[in-house]
Amino acid sequence: MNDYLSLLHDAVWLVPLLPLLAAAGNAWCLLQGAPGGDAAEPPVVRLSEWSALGALLLLLLIDLSAWLYGMPGERRLGTWFGTASWQAEISFLLDGLSLPLATLAALIGWLVLRFSANYLHREPGFRRFFIVLGLFLGGIQLVFLAANSLLLFVGWELCGLASFLLIGFQQQRTTATGNALFAFVCNRIGDAGLLFALGLSAWWQGGFAWPAAPGSGVGIELGALEMRVLALGFVLAALVKSAQLPFTPWIAKAQEGPTPSSAIFYGAVMVHAGIYLLLRLQPLLARLPDIQSGLLAIGLLTAVYAWLRAQVQTDVKSALIHAGVFQVALMLIAIGSGWTALATWHLCLHAAWRAWQFLRAPSWLELASRRPAPPPAWLARHRGVYTAVLQAFWLDRLGQVLLVQPTESFAHDLRRFEHSFVDRAIGEPGQGEAIDPALPLLRADGWPGRLLATAAVLLQRLENHLLPRGRGGEAERHLRRFANYLANLENLLEQPRYLMMAVMATFVVIL
Amino acid sequence: MASAANGALGERIAEWIAHFEHHLPAQAPLRDFVHHNTLHGYQHLPFFEALASAGAKTGARAYWPESRFRAELARGRIGRDDLAAALDELGVEGLDEQLAPATSRRELLLAILCGDETTSVRTEEAWLAREHGLDADPLFALARALTVDISTVTDERDWRQAGRDRWRALCASVGRTSTWRELLEQLFAVDVLATVRTVLQRHLAAHLDRGLAAWRNPDRERGFYAAWRASAGADLQWELEELPNLRDEIACLPDDPLSVLAEELPRLVPEALWPAYCERLLLELPGWSGMFLRCQGPGDGAERPPVAMLDLLAVRVLLERLLCEEFLRRASGQALTLESLPAWYDERPAEIYVRHAWRTRQLDEELAAELAHVVGRALEARFTVDWENWAKRIAAALPEPCPALRLWRLWRALAVLPEAARRWDVGNATAALQLAAALSPRQRGEIWLLAYERHYRERLFAALAANHGRGSSPRPVSAQVVMCMDDREEGTRRHLEEIAPQVETYGAAGFFGVAMYWQGLGDGQPTALCPVVVRPDVLVSEEANADAARLALHLRRRERRLRWRERLYQATRGEALAAPLLTAAAAVPALAALLADSLAPAWFGQRLRRWREACEVRPPSELALNAETQAAGTPEAPRRGFTDGEQVDRVAAFLRGIGLSRDFAPLVLLLGHGSRSVNNPHRSAYDCGACSGRHGGPNARVFAAMANRREVRAGLAACGIVIPDETWFVGAFHNTCDDTVEYYDLDRLPAAFLPPFTLLRDQLVAACRGHAVERCRRLASAPPDPSPAQALRHVAGRADDLSQARPELGHATNAAAFIGRRRMSRGLFLDRRVFLISYDPTQDEDGCIVEGILLAAGPVGAGISLEYYFSCVDNEAYGCGSKISHNLSGLIGVMEGCESDLRTGLPQQMIDIHEPMRLLLVVEQTPAMLGALLARQPALQSLIANAWVLLAAQDPESGVIHRLLPGGGWQRWQGELAVPHAASSLDWFRGRTDPLPPALLPVAAHEEEK
Repeated sequence: MNDYLSLLHDAVWLVPLLPLLAAAGNAWCLLQGAPGGDAAEPPVVRLSEWSALGALLLLLLIDLSAWLYGMPGERRLGTWFGTASWQAEISFLLDGLSLPLATLAALIGWLVLRFSANYLHREPGFRRFFIVLGLFLGGIQLVFLAANSLLLFVGWELCGLASFLLIGFQQQRTTATGNALFAFVCNRIGDAGLLFALGLSAWWQGGFAWPAAPGSGVGIELGALEMRVLALGFVLAALVKSAQLPFTPWIAKAQEGPTPSSAIFYGAVMVHAGIYLLLRLQPLLARLPDIQSGLLAIGLLTAVYAWLRAQVQTDVKSALIHAGVFQVALMLIAIGSGWTALATWHLCLHAAWRAWQFLRAPSWLELASRRPAPPPAWLARHRGVYTAVLQAFWLDRLGQVLLVQPTESFAHDLRRFEHSFVDRAIGEPGQGEAIDPALPLLRADGWPGRLLATAAVLLQRLENHLLPRGRGGEAERHLRRFANYLANLENLLEQPRYLMMAVMATFVVIL
Repeated sequence: MASAANGALGERIAEWIAHFEHHLPAQAPLRDFVHHNTLHGYQHLPFFEALASAGAKTGARAYWPESRFRAELARGRIGRDDLAAALDELGVEGLDEQLAPATSRRELLLAILCGDETTSVRTEEAWLAREHGLDADPLFALARALTVDISTVTDERDWRQAGRDRWRALCASVGRTSTWRELLEQLFAVDVLATVRTVLQRHLAAHLDRGLAAWRNPDRERGFYAAWRASAGADLQWELEELPNLRDEIACLPDDPLSVLAEELPRLVPEALWPAYCERLLLELPGWSGMFLRCQGPGDGAERPPVAMLDLLAVRVLLERLLCEEFLRRASGQALTLESLPAWYDERPAEIYVRHAWRTRQLDEELAAELAHVVGRALEARFTVDWENWAKRIAAALPEPCPALRLWRLWRALAVLPEAARRWDVGNATAALQLAAALSPRQRGEIWLLAYERHYRERLFAALAANHGRGSSPRPVSAQVVMCMDDREEGTRRHLEEIAPQVETYGAAGFFGVAMYWQGLGDGQPTALCPVVVRPDVLVSEEANADAARLALHLRRRERRLRWRERLYQATRGEALAAPLLTAAAAVPALAALLADSLAPAWFGQRLRRWREACEVRPPSELALNAETQAAGTPEAPRRGFTDGEQVDRVAAFLRGIGLSRDFAPLVLLLGHGSRSVNNPHRSAYDCGACSGRHGGPNARVFAAMANRREVRAGLAACGIVIPDETWFVGAFHNTCDDTVEYYDLDRLPAAFLPPFTLLRDQLVAACRGHAVERCRRLASAPPDPSPAQALRHVAGRADDLSQARPELGHATNAAAFIGRRRMSRGLFLDRRVFLISYDPTQDEDGCIVEGILLAAGPVGAGISLEYYFSCVDNEAYGCGSKISHNLSGLIGVMEGCESDLRTGLPQQMIDIHEPMRLLLVVEQTPAMLGALLARQPALQSLIANAWVLLAAQDPESGVIHRLLPGGGWQRWQGELAVPHAASSLDWFRGRTDPLPPALLPVAAHEEEK
């Protein structure tokens, strides 16, 4: 029995792999130039859907076993890579936090795939959508199930990439592609934090395992400062992914993709990844009250911000997304206050409800007939606040001015520097000029090129100078003269007296 | 003085605004969606001219792209003979003139149209020579020899002149076909509005919002201008965009939008161009502007704010001037104003030339990439560009046309062999190439469209001619079924007749002549159930036929359910305390519902409805049909109920109209229709167009109730329509999405009528199943070759499936309308493409009835057909794009994503199998009478004489078909196409998923005796 159980638990790697394999299969067909059209759709859907269902069923089996026989805990499947001082492992953590979340994500993922099959029928990019959704489903399972932060990072990046690709799904619309880029760049800030934490973790902890609770005797005990720095990196990543202040604007801009993708990414699943990361770090955070209170403050601010924003939205998707961010902020507040169980429950319930509400967003005409209750009058009549809220407190504009524009200018300057100096120095293939009019085939551009060409010209000259241009060249003359000398020397040496002298000289030297 | 001037300006602006209605989208808020001609403002022009002028104004395409038509040619939906006939119809001169050896102009034109439209340039020639050995082709050698002397030098190479010409053309277009903003965008690739468009759209959405936002602009009740000004004045964005002086200007604005216009307009364009310029500005955001115009009105306090176009215009004009000048100041480093701009660039033709070449992407990649960088940096003051040098480089690199390649392609399209080509001389070659170059896009579009329409028309006419005298009324008639004229009901009627040959069917506008306000049990507001142009003055309400306690229970439960639903959805998105609690409570049921809906939508939908009914205990109901007073009502204060006299009039007029005034069957069934689907913002577009995009069931119910009343029947008998006591009228509702039928007032059905009713109901169920099978053939996700039960399950599942973006196909593929007796079309398979309107020419001596039908049904049919046409040919401009990214905004329309214009028209999902062509109206009447009708009805003239719909007449006696030619005059149709026979509808469409031509179905034996 135990053998079967452990076999089952070890098979958990299939959960993230199956959707990724489906995505790879679909991508392979796409690359092979498989024809589009109505007939091409069912195989694409079937592959994606069955793989997602397979992952879901496997998770349900593991859940069942966990319920009957207790939590499997960490499963180490192998070592990915490493050095003497640190190791990156392929390991999964199956506990009371990861299993419910992974199961919920797999269920919602499967339902959204089924939903998309009809919804995206005959859409240009049908196959692309399912490939990207497969990437996401694999990525999010890695995030939830990974027992170390490196594996989580892989999943994290897959989700980020998938999110970028689906926001810009309708490539012909510039708003969509522009917003996709905005979201992508914002998410890179979080990635920087995560990478930072990963590096420190490898350095200080000798691995990427989740920081353990103090006194558990597992892992290496970290110092107070080390813990704080490490936690800050993770917290930054979590705040960006869950769109908490000051990173909230990206999620408002991310609603350009197809409705099912908005539902699973920003309504139901991905927006909670940051909260999950914080829940995972709870043992660490519990020892850092200052960071916890920081989270509490950010949660409170975001809740106020998102609530205000939700009041002024005039379109369904924006209204829902801000309502979602509001509840995510509540979860952050719960984490900041140390109520992790509450946050976990809230997370699961919110994901389920929001998936439904988002997928039903097109029905809003029927669902809501009356205007919702307005905010209190003292607030409602305040013009300045209204404008500020309508403009999202100018956050994205501020980001533009403070971050994007300087980066852009810097990139422009770099481009110019490269164009004026580097390119000229290095040269471009095919752009060269002849160094020597006598040698038109020898062309060069840029300093290294010119240097080489000049060297080649010099050597060529030398060669031309030395080697016979036909018979009777310079070199031949010198060689002949040299051969003459040698022949004379030989003739002299052949004389017996000189031979004797040479033998005697040798003896003298020996003695 | 100033106020007097303002007053005059105000009057003029009011006039312009009234005129804007012609060119802005006129779509109503989504709840009231009704099909209408997208180009309604151009209807006074002939069709093709209207398309051209609309295209000139908006840049939208008016025809399918040629590549699409060529694909239809390859699919066999257009024939070469159709193209040849289209050339004749268009009146191209000298079609039979020999332009080249053994080649007439007609053949040349056909070859030009059917060949591919790739541009032929020198670089391509070089590529073909290198990769495909073009030089070895003797045909190409001949082509090259013939075209050696044809000059290929274009004016574009003289960059100085070209740049100046381009600039002058651009300046001249301002106020006519573009705005300053568009001009700057053309030139600099910078959209000056980009930074404020998002917030402007948010303001617009907030002002028009009908219940999505909880918090509204505090100054909303003072109108859009005041609300925007108050908000923009407090906006920090201007500082962040480094536009602080804009904020100062906004702070000093006058209170009156008219003064803003009076001040700003002269700074933009000369006075003569003001109205055109304002219209251009509004057309930059056509969706929002159109909705703004549509919602114009004084407002009613808190819920509906005052909406005045003047406000929007003032804001747009002000922003236009401020942003453009601000940009110019930055771009040029000078204090350039819009006035001095033309002169400034007139002296810099090189820059214009370079920028234009860059914007129009005529350059090869390498040059374009280099240029993009330079042009991008040119906006910075410290960066200077040697424009002249660039202009020279670009002029040298422009693609050079290659006439030899073009001629070679033409020969290949003509299948000319080298031997034949040798007989061509330079003159022939030049003439052929000129002919190709002279064919404008508009002409190409016209030819293709005419050919496309002809292909369908020929088969339809052949079928009509072959069917003449075949189909006739069965005797005895077991039942008469009156349905909507809707093209979807063609299928239902055909299947019903195939199953029950004793049944007679009729078609009429689906409000059955009963224009009324309707208030169902528990409805908060009455809704108008009649065509949009009619404003009813009578209210009919549904009342409970049960004791007060039961009614109260029902109302209470229903109200509670709705309140909780509303609360659940609203609170979880906006309330601070209730949101997490309600979320937690509703999460598990929501997930279960999602699972159930995904796995078994039909089962789950049905179950939900049953639970709802069981919970709400709906009491039996009856109509409050009869008026208690004789006092006339008004649209604002309608009278409750119809008087007896009105009822007699309505019933008599309707029955006469459809030609059912004698020989009544025991049962007359009236089928109103509508479409039920979920998760579909465009649901109204699938409903009954004759009921203003709502369900037509209540109209059928009211009509049946009126016709069953003893008093009404007595009145009818007095005016010559005798309905015997052995006849009973039943009203019912047909759901075109899941193909179910719901019957009304069966508790009043006398027992004697129960057997025939049961029979008819079973027949109708079978017909709906057969119809579902037929519908499945066009639905890609339906099971292939389904059984009737399977098909019905599939369509029922679509109606309840949250994920279904195409619950049904609506009016897609509609192409024709018949006005005549059913015998004209009974026995024909028409593929659900034809509106069928019943009319008996033998009972209409003076043409009054057909006149009424044409006036009522003509615009409805044309509206549907033309909205589909335009949404189909250019979905980006006239349609609303794909549903997948639609986002409901303000409960009035859809946006794409979270920041876009309001999108009007039909979504991609509604038109993807549509074949865009004009509606062909075939009336069973003599050409003479129709001609007289047209002459006396201006409304019909604009529609028919201007060819927005095409008209044909089939003689009731001889069956001869005449077609109204575009220039007027009737042409007798003389086609000789054979019409296929099919054993049954199922037999004809089984296994086919493409559009099918009409076919002759067998008619019952007793019919053929006649």
